[in-house]
Amino acid sequence: MPTTPLIELQHLVKRYGDKTAVDDVTLEVRAGEIFGFLGPNGAGKTTTIRVVVGLLQPTSGTVRVGGYDVQTQPLQAKAICGYVPDQPNLYAKLTARELLRFVGDLYGVKRSQVERRIEELLRLFDLTAAGDDTIDSYSHGMKQKTALAAALMHDPRVLVLDEPTVGLDPKSARLFKDILRQMADRGAAVFLSTHILEIAEHMCDRIGIIDRGRLIAVGTMEELRALGKGERSLEDIFLSLTGGAEYAEIAEVLR
Amino acid sequence: MMGVEPLSPVGLWPAVARLLRLQFRIFVSGLRRSGLRGKLGAAAITVLMLSVAGFILAMSVGLLHLLQSPGLRAAFPEIGPLLARVPGVVVALGFFAILGTSFGVSLQSLYLAEDMDFLLSAPIPIRAVFVAKLLQAILPNLALVALGALPLLVGLGVSSGYSLLYYPLAALMLVGAALAAGGLGSLLVMAVVRIFPARRVAEVLGATVAVVSVVCSQSGQFARPGTIGQRQVSTALRLLASLDVPWSPLAWPGRALAGVGEGRWLAGAGFGLLALGAAGLTFWVALASAERLYYSGWARMQSSPRRRSVARAPRRVSARAAAVPAARFLPRAVAAIVAKDWAVLRRDLRNLSQLITPLILGVVYAAMLLRTGGLPAGEEGDAPAWLLQGLRGAMGYANIGIALFVGWTMLQRLGALGFSHEGRNYWLVKSAPVSAGQLLAAKFLAAYLPSLAISWGFVGMLALVQRSWGTAWFSLPVVAFCLAGADGVCLAFGVAGARMDWEDPRQMLSFSSGCLSALVSGVVLGTGIGLFALPQVVLGLLGLPPVVGQLAGLAVGGAFCVACAIVAPWLVRGRVTRLGES
Repeated sequence: MPTTPLIELQHLVKRYGDKTAVDDVTLEVRAGEIFGFLGPNGAGKTTTIRVVVGLLQPTSGTVRVGGYDVQTQPLQAKAICGYVPDQPNLYAKLTARELLRFVGDLYGVKRSQVERRIEELLRLFDLTAAGDDTIDSYSHGMKQKTALAAALMHDPRVLVLDEPTVGLDPKSARLFKDILRQMADRGAAVFLSTHILEIAEHMCDRIGIIDRGRLIAVGTMEELRALGKGERSLEDIFLSLTGGAEYAEIAEVLR
Repeated sequence: MMGVEPLSPVGLWPAVARLLRLQFRIFVSGLRRSGLRGKLGAAAITVLMLSVAGFILAMSVGLLHLLQSPGLRAAFPEIGPLLARVPGVVVALGFFAILGTSFGVSLQSLYLAEDMDFLLSAPIPIRAVFVAKLLQAILPNLALVALGALPLLVGLGVSSGYSLLYYPLAALMLVGAALAAGGLGSLLVMAVVRIFPARRVAEVLGATVAVVSVVCSQSGQFARPGTIGQRQVSTALRLLASLDVPWSPLAWPGRALAGVGEGRWLAGAGFGLLALGAAGLTFWVALASAERLYYSGWARMQSSPRRRSVARAPRRVSARAAAVPAARFLPRAVAAIVAKDWAVLRRDLRNLSQLITPLILGVVYAAMLLRTGGLPAGEEGDAPAWLLQGLRGAMGYANIGIALFVGWTMLQRLGALGFSHEGRNYWLVKSAPVSAGQLLAAKFLAAYLPSLAISWGFVGMLALVQRSWGTAWFSLPVVAFCLAGADGVCLAFGVAGARMDWEDPRQMLSFSSGCLSALVSGVVLGTGIGLFALPQVVLGLLGLPPVVGQLAGLAVGGAFCVACAIVAPWLVRGRVTRLGES
């Protein structure tokens, strides 16, 4: 059973002016664990993730990655963390090979290992043939795979992914899932947000549900089922916890 | 199922009107949403354009009246036929201007706007979409061309006493030329995009337009109007006459206008019908072809296999950076960011066009400097010897001035936009274990080293041509120090005003930061040069050798520039970690 927490959020709050995007969120993700982060659109998932990887400054609360405070020890925290954003914005005029080499340099991967690692990752993601093309010629899925390859370049102990399977074909999505499982099995902490509840239900060891900035439920599937009113599937639990009034409205319009 | 009644089909022209109205609404909405500065800018541009049109009209009427005076006509009998050819030349130039400009607009509206699928799937005739798209490409350019061409044609009509029918026909001929040019432009776009990706074409087009604009604007610097003689004028007139042949469609509008204006009704009507018929036919053929080519998928499918944007051989960006001796002393992340920035800048043609501009300007000014032989242009006249001597001394510093101008212009692009150039990709660097200091150092060097290399190149080239190696040893460190100070200031304002979520490269930096960057870095350069020169003057007055003054200047000016290079970025270091959070 995994025990060491590699991601710890304590009373995390993030406000944009009057709007509270993340409201007093406390959770932890342990080594060897895949943690699924669910929530409706605009619930605060991406904001939470951006705070975890050091892209956003929290209004209050603390975030620790691998035991390092992201605010006071950002370089140490970032050095062990890999991140895949929801939009794979990558330098369009670099090739995948150049991008991976750049990332290797940023994260201080040993020079002797950089080239070997690049070839491994390109082969793994089926990008070897396109490795010397500039990224602006890639499809969305190829960009997504390049972003994951970049996140894995320095073999991170913590992997944070925001909607990683959006726009991927079934083969690539399966590859993503297998890689995340392997990372967790090797002792990494994987923190991912997704809208695909099937992925969360079958892949994740624990699941957190965030709604309107507040973490309303967290636990294993069994623990979530116990929270609900007899629902069995994650979809039913999710809709029960986050509300489903909008679906009645849609049905009314389509009638 | 839903009980919604099917829509009744919309006719071609009502659909075109709807689509154009939509574009107009988008334009008005954009204007409404723009801030006060945007509205004032739009008003100022409108007033300026109308003023230019009024000026052209007044000048045309005055000049053409003068050219038609009996005295001049008697002295230069070629003037009569020349004036009759002016309408043809104006319409032909308008045709080519619209052909050139509509290419870019058609590229944008057909391929880059990304609304074609939405429009083509709407219950309106497909032809309406293409008519609207072509008109969208033509109308703004026609308005611009008409702003210059119509006053000229009206001025010609007034000064020549042409018949009243000439004026509406002049407008009609311009519209015809615009329709034909716009249609051909759209076909050209489809043919080009069939071979090259649309975004690449847009980049190349932007770079070409920028470079050509700068070259054209500066080419006047080399003109020597005094050397133009009768022979050149005669050659130009013969060339004009050779283009005005009855079988050329480009000559028909001019012949129609001259005929109708001078009361030669049969010739005028004949050529008028020919011109309008040819324009209408060209537009219709282009429209039908564009519609067919696009709808069939021909125009959307590139004929060539996916091209590699870079050489097949793996490029070792960081390895190459490491090969530069200086890079070995840099932290690895800093060297990697510098190398990455250079690779990205080099491959994006939009950047290249911005960087080529200062080079062209530098070459032009250096050539002018060399042409005058280090003396102010013009006659020496009765100027006192001491003044000429002083001017010669000051012109010695022109080498430094040109080199600094080139470097400073490059810094406005490389230094001030160093951070915002990252745009939405900034997450990659920000989530990496790289400190704010390392980032600032990397961005400083990425801007400084190329600017310095180019500026030193100018100093060396000018010293070589002028054989003034004696001053080069002083010029090189002065340029290096001054550019370092200016780079620090540009970088600081670049951080302060950076926008990381830009779509349009012109919005990379806030307007005020851009202005302040140029202004303050210019002041730093001026102050730096002053501090380099001042000790020389003071110590020279005290009778000390010039080399002592130069060394003192290097110490004082160098200290000032180094302070600017360090302090300015240091002041904004806290903001670097917050960039991209809005």
